[in-house]
Amino acid sequence: MNSILERKEIREKLEDIKEADILVGIPSYNNARTIGHVVRAVQAGFAKYFPDRKCVLVNSDGGSTDGTMDAVQNATIEDFQAILLHHRVRPAFKITTPYHGIPGKGSAFRTIFEIADALNVKACAVVDSDLRSITPEWIELLIKPVIEGGFDYVAPLYHRHKYDGTITNSIVYPLTRALYGKRIRQPIGGDFGFSGNLAKFYLTKDVWETDVARYGIDIWMTTTAIANNFKVCQSFLGAKIHDPKDPGTDLSAMLYQVVGATFDLMETYSSVWKNIKGSEPVITCGFQYAVGLEPVNVNVDRMIDRFRLGVKELMAIWKEFLPDSIIHFLNKAVELSKEEFYIPDETWVEIIYSFALAYYRKVVNKEHLLKSLTPLYIGRTASFVLETWESDAEEVEEKIENLCIAFENKKGWLIDKWQEV
Amino acid sequence: MTNIFERLISEPLEGFLERFIQFLPNLISAILLLLIGLFAGWLTKKTSYRLLMVLKVDEFSERHGINNILLKGGVKESLSSVIGRFAGWLVFFIFVIISLSSLNVPAIERLLERFFLYLPNLFVAVIILLIGYLLSNFFGRAALIASVNAGLKASGLIGRFVKLTIFLLAATMALEQLGIGRETIIIAFAIVFGGIVLALSIAFGLGGRDMAKEYLEKKVKGEEKKDEISHI
Repeated sequence: MNSILERKEIREKLEDIKEADILVGIPSYNNARTIGHVVRAVQAGFAKYFPDRKCVLVNSDGGSTDGTMDAVQNATIEDFQAILLHHRVRPAFKITTPYHGIPGKGSAFRTIFEIADALNVKACAVVDSDLRSITPEWIELLIKPVIEGGFDYVAPLYHRHKYDGTITNSIVYPLTRALYGKRIRQPIGGDFGFSGNLAKFYLTKDVWETDVARYGIDIWMTTTAIANNFKVCQSFLGAKIHDPKDPGTDLSAMLYQVVGATFDLMETYSSVWKNIKGSEPVITCGFQYAVGLEPVNVNVDRMIDRFRLGVKELMAIWKEFLPDSIIHFLNKAVELSKEEFYIPDETWVEIIYSFALAYYRKVVNKEHLLKSLTPLYIGRTASFVLETWESDAEEVEEKIENLCIAFENKKGWLIDKWQEV
Repeated sequence: MTNIFERLISEPLEGFLERFIQFLPNLISAILLLLIGLFAGWLTKKTSYRLLMVLKVDEFSERHGINNILLKGGVKESLSSVIGRFAGWLVFFIFVIISLSSLNVPAIERLLERFFLYLPNLFVAVIILLIGYLLSNFFGRAALIASVNAGLKASGLIGRFVKLTIFLLAATMALEQLGIGRETIIIAFAIVFGGIVLALSIAFGLGGRDMAKEYLEKKVKGEEKKDEISHI
């Protein structure tokens, strides 16, 4: 089956709905514990902010065995009076369906895009099914910039703990910003708003049998929107608190997926990013406020040990593509004590750009290459933690800004090396 | 006396001369074929090298890490040079075979026949070795990276062990294909491999007892301070 629309029950449901204004999609896989809250928040968002619009909620499920789809069907707001002054004028529809294609978040999103396209919706949003901090306001903040502001893509902006989202802060955000010139702070946030036109555009792309269908969908959506000149903005959603991730989730697999997807897109859009200099802020919607965040435990000694082990054992692989100055630096860094341990921004930028070039040149098997980045990433994170131990959120953000500038300043070097290939 | 001389010396000499004269055209054609083979081999080497350069095979091999594999195998030449040289030698080898068979010597023909029957085994053995070498490098590196990321101190040892085991397996298969000491090699491999596993079991059992105890205690009592960093 090539499309979800070939499924009889979906076709009947869509014929019943005919057209809609707003669609919110929730991809899920065994999220019975949390999805009820997300569905209720979305329904309340529809009722509170879009009472006169035809709204559809789509749950695209990856074959959950814990009753996730039943939880979606059964989740309703008993008493709208408790949160609203008026009942909504138009009823909201609910579609719950298993997605088709390769197992992964990307395939779940494809199903959402296809339904959005079939219903000819004006605005869509997708939200994670494990969110604990979602409120009805998120729906307004992700949808209204599209409907009333004419934006095509709305990225989320959260307040997070200073050591939360370290791959985003040290690699994905600075790299995406330096490459494509837009300061989108959470390019892989997971909760996005987008126009019906952009959903149609996503469907025209031939990526649904690739890694995008498995795990690279977040960065793919953001990059595709920016690189194809769609109008982008970001919305402040407050704090992002989600169900704790499986502690067994392998960090190196995570790096391989996220960084690999970012590097793949560098290849796709090389003609775009080579011509972009510097970066510009994007419009931020929503009222920003401070939020209390839970403290995070960090074992810096263990992180430095992992870095040292990596330098000792993986140097032979890195020597194939890292510049001599970096190799020299790494050999020196293993001898530093915890108090002296520091990886400067410029060195980190050169490491990431060298990995991107090696990925493009196919110097080493891609999975080996990206997984070998893990000890260096852990080392950089340890250095960042030591540097910002006493810093507040604002100071940390300043440090990240400095890193972004270092990425932008070194971009010329990347372009020169890229063209040599 | 004259009769004896004729029977003992002259007749065999004449016979030899006659056979030599009959054989001479074959010898000359064999030498000629050999010379042509030398020239054809040289020409093939040069032409295929130039062709591969035009097709940018060296850039392809650089990008796909083939050059690194060659370097690790002690080959310092480029891929196009290696292929060119191989093609040249192959053409020369074919001419050597043709030249030898043009001699029409039954003993050489029998040898050639046996050689040709054995050739597929040699070819398969070389392929097995080559694939074994590539796989041992790949899995050795994968094991090394995985164990470094798991924080294992003996990562280097694990990587080398995986690499060596896979290459040993491939070498055993190659030798078995060639029919060299078939049973001996299989038994030797089983003994070496079984010995390593047994040695490791004993080493872990005796040497790692305290470490295992400490590890389990940490796990059960939860003494180790864990990171709570959310990376994404």
